[in-house]
Amino acid sequence: MSENGDLRIGVYVCHCGSNIAGVIDPKAVAEYAATLPDVVWATDQLYTCSDPGQRQIQEDIKKYHLNRVVVAACSVRLHEPTFRACVANAGLNPFLFEMANIREQDTWVHSHEPEAALQKAKDIVAAAVAKARFLTPLDMIEVPVTKAAMVIGGGIAGISAALDLADMGIKTYLVEKEPSIGGRMAQLNKTFPTMDCSI
Amino acid sequence: MVDAARHPNIELLTYTEVKRVEGFIGNFKVLVEEKPRYVLMDRCNGCGACAPVCPIEVPNEFEEGLAPRKAIYIPHSQAVPLRYVIDIDHCIKCYKCVDACGKLDAIDFSQQPKQRWLDVGSIIVATGFDSFDPSELTEYGYGRYDNVITTLELERINNSAGPTAGQIIRPSDKKFPKKVAFIQCVGSRDERFNLYCSGFCCMYTIKNAVQWKLTYPDADITIFYMDIRTPSKGYEEFYRWAREMGIRFIQGRPALITEDPHTGNLFIQAEDVGLGQLIELESELVVLSTAAVPRADTEQMSSILNISRSPGGFFMEYHPKLRPVDSPTDGVFLAGAAQGPKDIPASVAQGSGAAARAARILNAERWEIEPIVAHVWEDRCISAQGKKCGICATKCPYNAIVVEQGKAAEVMPAKCHGCGGCVAECPHNAITQMHFTDAQILAQLHALLAKEPEKKIIAFMCHWCSYGGADNAGTSHFEYPASSRGIRVMCSARQDQDFVYEAFRLGAGMVLVSGCHPQDCHYITGQRVAAERFERLAKRLAEMGISPQRFRVEWISAAEGAKYAQVIREMDEVLRSFDPQALKEENERVRPELERRLRRLTEIPDVAKALEQVYA
Ligand SMILES: Cc1cc2nc3c(=O)[nH]c(=O)nc-3n(C[C@H](O)[C@H](O)[C@H](O)COP(=O)(O)OP(=O)(O)OC[C@H]3O[C@@H](n4cnc5c(N)ncnc54)[C@H](O)[C@@H]3O)c2cc1C
Ligand code: SF4
Repeated sequence: MSENGDLRIGVYVCHCGSNIAGVIDPKAVAEYAATLPDVVWATDQLYTCSDPGQRQIQEDIKKYHLNRVVVAACSVRLHEPTFRACVANAGLNPFLFEMANIREQDTWVHSHEPEAALQKAKDIVAAAVAKARFLTPLDMIEVPVTKAAMVIGGGIAGISAALDLADMGIKTYLVEKEPSIGGRMAQLNKTFPTMDCSI
Repeated sequence: MVDAARHPNIELLTYTEVKRVEGFIGNFKVLVEEKPRYVLMDRCNGCGACAPVCPIEVPNEFEEGLAPRKAIYIPHSQAVPLRYVIDIDHCIKCYKCVDACGKLDAIDFSQQPKQRWLDVGSIIVATGFDSFDPSELTEYGYGRYDNVITTLELERINNSAGPTAGQIIRPSDKKFPKKVAFIQCVGSRDERFNLYCSGFCCMYTIKNAVQWKLTYPDADITIFYMDIRTPSKGYEEFYRWAREMGIRFIQGRPALITEDPHTGNLFIQAEDVGLGQLIELESELVVLSTAAVPRADTEQMSSILNISRSPGGFFMEYHPKLRPVDSPTDGVFLAGAAQGPKDIPASVAQGSGAAARAARILNAERWEIEPIVAHVWEDRCISAQGKKCGICATKCPYNAIVVEQGKAAEVMPAKCHGCGGCVAECPHNAITQMHFTDAQILAQLHALLAKEPEKKIIAFMCHWCSYGGADNAGTSHFEYPASSRGIRVMCSARQDQDFVYEAFRLGAGMVLVSGCHPQDCHYITGQRVAAERFERLAKRLAEMGISPQRFRVEWISAAEGAKYAQVIREMDEVLRSFDPQALKEENERVRPELERRLRRLTEIPDVAKALEQVYA
């Protein structure tokens, strides 16, 4: 946070077994991360997403008073929800977490250039830390819910949906533009797979 | 059908159309308009005394035009609700029906369209499909030859409640046809019309053939097909049964049908792929299995509901694998053939799925939305200073921004989906996106280009597609050079041209902006906004003196790992082909112009600080 002079960032570099550590040295990345501005704690872990990995983050948040957490591991699309929940459980706002993808977008695609892959991992972590310095806590937006549904189209799909909703006790408007519901199915003679009549 | 009409929790609104949808998940307001029936729903008892006296006859749509109906009519005998309606366009106002109705007094010519707003928490779109008009395929002569019909017409003819009371007769001479041929994939799997397979026509043709054969074991039935598609449970067995009962299957798409005007019989010319030779087959009736196509009003509905369409034109799901029932708009779900051709079992399943997805929201007291939304800095917005602007509102695909002159633009957080398009489009840098602020993104850029910028390719990616494509390259272990450095935003629309300028100002060797293909956009029009922006930007960069090969725009889906890897490989090759010294000189030459364009960047909150950082 810009106005917040007291940034305390923790960085966790995952080995992902040999998926990352087989190409680059996670320790070297963590050591580099420790030199970055506002980073007060950086370390490497065998599997950050594992229970022990997550527990360590949660303990460190308390021990080092971390107020930003960066995990350098796999894709945001995979584990961002995991780590958001992890830091939230330790009392940190989940939007103060940032992820650096050094697996899918680094070690898995540059295994023939370990030197360059290491440099890239350092850059990726530096960028994540740079972003983390400007993260702000955010609250989920809560909205009320009107307990009623509208189904547009009174063919078999719409009728099925409306009946299920109505059976769950939900007021349902079934809107059909023709004078009768039924849709295409009402026009059919016998229907596969049962060969019974359609209506 | 009747269950739906009787259910105490269902309010049936027939002859009604949706005109407008406002609001957001949990809180939609829908304007519906009931067309005048000119028959009072609470008085009409469906007795049918009116129709016989009506002098007007027009083709009945429900019977595919094969039988007439009156101007006062019910679509069919099982209609729900069983109430008459007057087709006012054909009614001559003779008022004979009024007399016939008598004491019930159910007819009211003074009715007007009735509009009302309804509050709902969720919407399910189940508007179904249309059938392809086969007259577009002139080689089959539909519309010219009486005895070429569609399967839907056959469904009506072969229906005991239909126009012929279930007697199969052919249109030209009302005789029973002993030789019939079905033609598959009419308008489907055809580059001229629709590329996709309509899915259910193979089965409905087999169904009609089987039924025919069961009733008339001597009938001579041929089915011309490209491939038979019977993948669901029990369907292949059904197909086998059809073959065993003597229905002839010929693989080959007929090229031409001609008619003998004397007999009304048809000659089908086709290549029999099995025999490897051209054949001609005479038939007394030809039935066309026409493609399922999107409803004519799909485009209008998609703009009313703010949901996008897939390449074939049907409504698009949020994610083809993982969220096949959700539309891209939160709280709006899709069911049935509206989302893509589907048979009845699949339509019922998706209807139930959509109900469950909607109930998840409707059974909650409150709903949480991710706060990655746009935010206006009121002091920077020129509308607040009384000037005319409102660009942000025009770029928002969700109508989430309201601009009133004299007031700062206002973002409705619950409607905002967080694409960030408005943020990048605002010419005064007066909007930001939470969690993807200018400061955050520029801080990343700065860190990535701290060392040896000329040797690097900056790759801006969108979360849903090109970042997914880069991940896919990873999971597939497609190697590419390690010179690229990625920056992820939610949508390519968030990729501000200033980011590109800043990347070059910092000395980046190459810049890639990437996002989804137009039809895959998670934010309806986000990709289009980005595409237009970067087309302009590419020209401007070239004019400024940046070698055109140094800036590239690519649309890459989450499945296109190979493409992502290839793009980076090609860019790396171009980068290596430059003389490093010449590149540096080019950067120096354009720097003053870039600095001029970026001079106001540091006025954006936190940006100056983000660019201050010195890297060891
Ligand atoms: C010739 C033929 C034979 C078939 N035989 C079989 C079979 O034997 N077995 C099988 O499983 N499937 C069969 N099918 C497929 C079957 O018809 C579809 O699976 C089914 O109709 C899909 O149901 P739906 O509710 O999605 O759409 P539809 O049946 O098209 O219903 C959509 C409804 O929405 C209404 N609507 C449309 N737009 C709007 C709007 N803007 N506002 C309000 N209402 C609107 C329509 O009037 C209609 O009532 C056959 C199809 C054809 C063409
Ligand atoms: S289901 Fe059969 S007839 Fe229909 S488009 Fe697909 S292949 Fe052609």
